[in-house]
Amino acid sequence: MDPFSTVAAIPLLPLSAFLIILFAGQFAPNLLPKQGAIPGIVALAISLAMSLLLLLPVSSGKFLNEVFYIWNPSQIDPITGVIISNLHFGFLIDPLSCLMLVIVSLISLLVFIHSIGYMNDQGEKGLFRYYAALSLFSFSMLSFVISDNLLMSFMFFELVGFCSWILIGFWFRESAPPRAATKAFLVTRFGDYFFLVGVVAVLVTFGTSNFAGKNSFPELAKSAIIDGSPIYGVAPTLWITIIGLLILGGVIGKSAQFPLHTWLPDAMEGPTPVSALIHAATMVAAGVYLVARIYGFYALSPTALSVIALLGGFTALFAATLAVVKREIKQVLAYSTISQYGYIMLALGAGGYTAGVFHLATHAIFKALLFLGAGAVIIAMHHDGDMWNMGGLRSKLPITYWSFLFGSLALAGIFPFAGFWSKDEVLFEALNHGLGGSPILLLSYAFGLIAVFLTGFYTFRMVSLTFHGSPRSNPAKNPHIIRWNIYIPLIILGILSLFAGAINMAPLEELFGSNFSYLHHWLNMAPSTLTAHHYHELIESFSGYHSAHISSILPALISLTLAISGMALAWKIYESPNPTESGAVYANKLNKLYTVLMHDYYLNDYQLKITKLTRDRIASTADIFDRMYVDGVVNRISLTSLSIGKSMSKLQTGIVTNYAFLISLGLLFMLLILVLWSGWL
Amino acid sequence: MVPISYYVFLSLAIFSIGLFGVLTRRNALMFLISIELMLNAANLNFVAFSFLHGNLTGQIFTLFILALAAAEVAVGIGIIIVLHRTFSDIDVTKAVTMRW
Repeated sequence: MDPFSTVAAIPLLPLSAFLIILFAGQFAPNLLPKQGAIPGIVALAISLAMSLLLLLPVSSGKFLNEVFYIWNPSQIDPITGVIISNLHFGFLIDPLSCLMLVIVSLISLLVFIHSIGYMNDQGEKGLFRYYAALSLFSFSMLSFVISDNLLMSFMFFELVGFCSWILIGFWFRESAPPRAATKAFLVTRFGDYFFLVGVVAVLVTFGTSNFAGKNSFPELAKSAIIDGSPIYGVAPTLWITIIGLLILGGVIGKSAQFPLHTWLPDAMEGPTPVSALIHAATMVAAGVYLVARIYGFYALSPTALSVIALLGGFTALFAATLAVVKREIKQVLAYSTISQYGYIMLALGAGGYTAGVFHLATHAIFKALLFLGAGAVIIAMHHDGDMWNMGGLRSKLPITYWSFLFGSLALAGIFPFAGFWSKDEVLFEALNHGLGGSPILLLSYAFGLIAVFLTGFYTFRMVSLTFHGSPRSNPAKNPHIIRWNIYIPLIILGILSLFAGAINMAPLEELFGSNFSYLHHWLNMAPSTLTAHHYHELIESFSGYHSAHISSILPALISLTLAISGMALAWKIYESPNPTESGAVYANKLNKLYTVLMHDYYLNDYQLKITKLTRDRIASTADIFDRMYVDGVVNRISLTSLSIGKSMSKLQTGIVTNYAFLISLGLLFMLLILVLWSGWL
Repeated sequence: MVPISYYVFLSLAIFSIGLFGVLTRRNALMFLISIELMLNAANLNFVAFSFLHGNLTGQIFTLFILALAAAEVAVGIGIIIVLHRTFSDIDVTKAVTMRW
């Protein structure tokens, strides 16, 4: 059977699971096994199998780019009689989307399994709502991944945001989760406004928003730049940069880049499996996936690429500094997610398409692992996420400890775990292209390097506080038991985070001379306009990025040394039976910095202040306009007619003689007109 | 035979006298009399032109107007009686309490 013929089923299976869980949960809750987890697991397992089946034909260079449903079929080309439409649902299965399909369905499946332990075993109520939303979430993301045009992408992008709103606010009876959910929704929506304008701009400018093929908008943009004639009165490069930056707005919101990252730490209020899904495979990944998807478009604009690289590098560093001080295990992971997505953006901005996709893939694995591990720890701790109450969990939860340690080593970028290979390639791309004549990338590279050190530090601060030392609270002394449904995803992801780096071991090529960049070759199997090779040519000819041809061994050693020294520092400070925060590093002179970091640089306050100021300004302007013009017009009309009426009423004297006089005068007047008009005089 | 213009000018004169009465007098009774003059000026016209054209319609109209005038006087005098009861006067310029 041709795996391409059943592509539609990959997203539609979770959708049908969503419908089944929703209706069964509402009308026949007793029939629903595990309150809805089982239909979701079955649907996603089949989706995963079908995604894996797709790998075979795609690796032999086949691809699928077909229209599934046309919205406006009335538009028919008068000459050829073929239906022409720029608005449709369609599938694009190429190496990138195929890889992402596997990751999304795998992580979703594992999150479903984990949820049985995290939600069902903890006696949560109304879980059909949870599993229905989780299925819808997977459906939206899978559909987003296989979209063949920007408009469809946008629609599922929004659906992903909506699902995360439901799931973050799942515990809606408490006060914090609904607020966090709304904040997440609003902040990402703010970015999506720009994205929507960008989508419209693409459709208006190029008449199509297709990703692939000769008539795709990146290709049309490329020929517009070669042609050089102005678009809407501006140079094509400038126009393409503007559109690119508009679309980037949505990416910044969804992928939680500075300054729209503030929703993500708050989103930790949701259930931990949801955090895993949001951070590893769906919501946050959607942003950077979009950049990778239309990379042929961004590669045309050096300005947009520099913005992406700078923003990514800065976010990587910025979020890493915040992760250093957080008390909650999930908060540390939240900031590390922001930081890691900063790296992916840095890679894409630095011209490292393969590196970005690689880090996206490995990060999905180890961050899902860390979140599910944190979920296990939180269950064990009777739902307390404060790391200062933990300690000594290593001996009580050995499987969790080892898998969490694997994830942490991958996150810190330690050889030979997955994160080492991908993060190293990210930094190498920045350095290589930076030295090759794009000095702005060197700044991003410096940001990234400092962040490597901080990543090592906060990761092992987290590991030390959680698992080492001696128990610091009663729950830590007597942890809650953890069952197979938690362990199985942890073990699978633990093994993957050890070996996933093997898909692209670029530095080994230099050492051994043979071919180790499997992912790079895999991405080159795409249709001709979507290959890594094509993108490389584009960034060289249009964005002026050139390779400095430096060795990749030394940069790898530098970042590895930094990561290990960060780890060692954390080890030195926190590796004691009773570690203290204020003891070693946070001496008095650092207290001020500590306070600033604990308050996230007061960014939330600033954003609230700006929002309030803008809101008040707009409100008062609207108020003045309302009073002056809307009310003013109505009042003026009524006043005028009142005063005219008042003065005209004086005519009504009540004296019959006056009336008779006026009537006779009128009669005379009419006679006069009649006489003059008919020419008698 | 008397030319038609004589009747017309006579009727015009009577109408103008009636109008003059309405516009200058303040006594309500004088109003009624003046209106009666104006109605009869019209009657005169009807009859004269009926005679001129040998058509009886004008004369029938005159009969109707006579009946109408009688009814009008009845209503008018009723109004004047009420006027007198309310203001103890039949001066039309006094009855202005309901204006504005």
